[in-house]
Amino acid sequence: MTAKRHYFKIISTSIFYAFMTGISLIWLYPYIWLFFSSFKPWDEIFTTFIPSRLTLKSYEYIFSTANQLGFPFLLGLFNSIFMSVTVTFLVVLTSAIVGYSITKIRFKGANSLFNFTIYQMLLPGFMFTVPLYIVVRSLGLLDSYAAIIVPNMMGAWGVFMFSQSFKSIPDDYIEAAKMDGANSFWIVFNVMLPLSGSTASIVGIFTFIGIWDNFMWPLIVIQSHRFMPLSVLLAVFNQSYGVFTGPILAGSVIQTIPMVLIFIIFRKYFLQGISMSLK
Amino acid sequence: MEKRIGTIKRKENIKGFWLTSPYLLFTVIFFGYPFVWLVILAFSKWNFISSPQNIGIGNFTKLFSDPMFWTVFENTIRFMLEFIPMVLVSSIALAIAFSKARYMRSFFAMSFLIANVSSGVAYSILFEQIFASNGPVNNFLYDSFGIFIPWFSDPNWAMFSIAIMVTWKFMGYYALIFLSGLQSIPNELYEAAKLDGANRWTLFWKITLPLLNPSFVMVVVLAITLAFGIFTEPFIITGGGPLNSTQTFMMIIYTDAFEKYQAGYSATIAIVAAGLSFLMIFIVRKLMEKNVSFS
Repeated sequence: MTAKRHYFKIISTSIFYAFMTGISLIWLYPYIWLFFSSFKPWDEIFTTFIPSRLTLKSYEYIFSTANQLGFPFLLGLFNSIFMSVTVTFLVVLTSAIVGYSITKIRFKGANSLFNFTIYQMLLPGFMFTVPLYIVVRSLGLLDSYAAIIVPNMMGAWGVFMFSQSFKSIPDDYIEAAKMDGANSFWIVFNVMLPLSGSTASIVGIFTFIGIWDNFMWPLIVIQSHRFMPLSVLLAVFNQSYGVFTGPILAGSVIQTIPMVLIFIIFRKYFLQGISMSLK
Repeated sequence: MEKRIGTIKRKENIKGFWLTSPYLLFTVIFFGYPFVWLVILAFSKWNFISSPQNIGIGNFTKLFSDPMFWTVFENTIRFMLEFIPMVLVSSIALAIAFSKARYMRSFFAMSFLIANVSSGVAYSILFEQIFASNGPVNNFLYDSFGIFIPWFSDPNWAMFSIAIMVTWKFMGYYALIFLSGLQSIPNELYEAAKLDGANRWTLFWKITLPLLNPSFVMVVVLAITLAFGIFTEPFIITGGGPLNSTQTFMMIIYTDAFEKYQAGYSATIAIVAAGLSFLMIFIVRKLMEKNVSFS
């Protein structure tokens, strides 16, 4: 009886793991197909799964031929990196300073400011698409890097996250630094930020990915190909040169890689970020 | 002494104000001012160029008699009816599988979560190709079962295909939410129920599911929010077609404002869409939310 049970257990466990592995592979399949296809000769994209030989033709096309057609993908890649890095840097910086002011300087209105960030986060972003476009237009920022960087350089979510994290840092550290004559900026950068590394990483990673992956906003505010981030440039290219499947898939690989890399490197913070958002 | 405390307080007030002033200014320009514009736009007709024309509640009356609005409303409801049950069942099942797996846990978690960090544009292009009429999925289905599915070209299939894509992307993330719900259920409850002779099925329906209620409500709320925000997938793959079957609120907000230049009408749609999503979330919370305590 016990032997029979034992066998049953082994069999059901192996079925479970085989099933889970199968499903995982199905989930990974789109990525694998994308990656393989970007290196395939063009006539093999829809006919074979594993390429008979590897070629860089698609990548060469997206970076050099498409450039001659007026789609500068190398510049698009630079634009995406530049805008995402700048916004991430500014958001972490400003959110840390405002979060410090709210939690550690007991000024009048600190609490109402904190509550206000919560109300701001409740409203869906799409409500403000058209009015924000009008504001950015009247500031003369349309069709420039600033159209993406400026409206995103500060945000309620970052302030909220840093305020939450700074609350738990004891005041003694700050008092000690003040004794040594440190000003607020010094305290934020040398005391507060190092003590809340994971919050800084979470805010940084999610901001970076948010800007990298942003599509509707840059689509609205940027018309010239030379200022477009990779996401929009790829979508516009796909609309007019959709028949060139290979190059489009190569472009998608380039658009995907930074996000996947950040996820793999910082997965600890991803999981923390998700579990923080649950509270 | 009291005077000194007073000056310290005043100093702190000034310092706090100085340090937050850039943020306050930013919020006035990029949140307060647009908010005022939103209200103005809702009651005006405007093509972005001439001066806005006050038309009272004209935008709202136009909206409710606009067939496109109702098509979009229907599409969104349809998407939710397909997506929410599909993602709930699969992510609860996945969460339970996660909790049972002792080996290869990080491989499983990575495979499902990596879908969640796919870029919106890239994964739309990717699924457009995978689900193409000559794409690998149809090739496989045709070769093994002789079936052909018009994923994005048939009005009855297109929205469902988008629901499948979104499920692919979000199942791992939602499973993680359910997993943290599962882990907060005390093991003693199961032990006690087993002593009373409950089988696995009863355990699931009488203990697991009721105690997962907070995670359940949370995932449904996230899914509703998501349904109202769909833009990239239909914009890239179908352009809202075939026969407007994949038009979403975000799609008509975009086309009305930036292709038809009806700024006021577009802003009105945005307000109504936000109102609808709040209403649905409110109803869901009222109907589903139960106070769960483990004592």
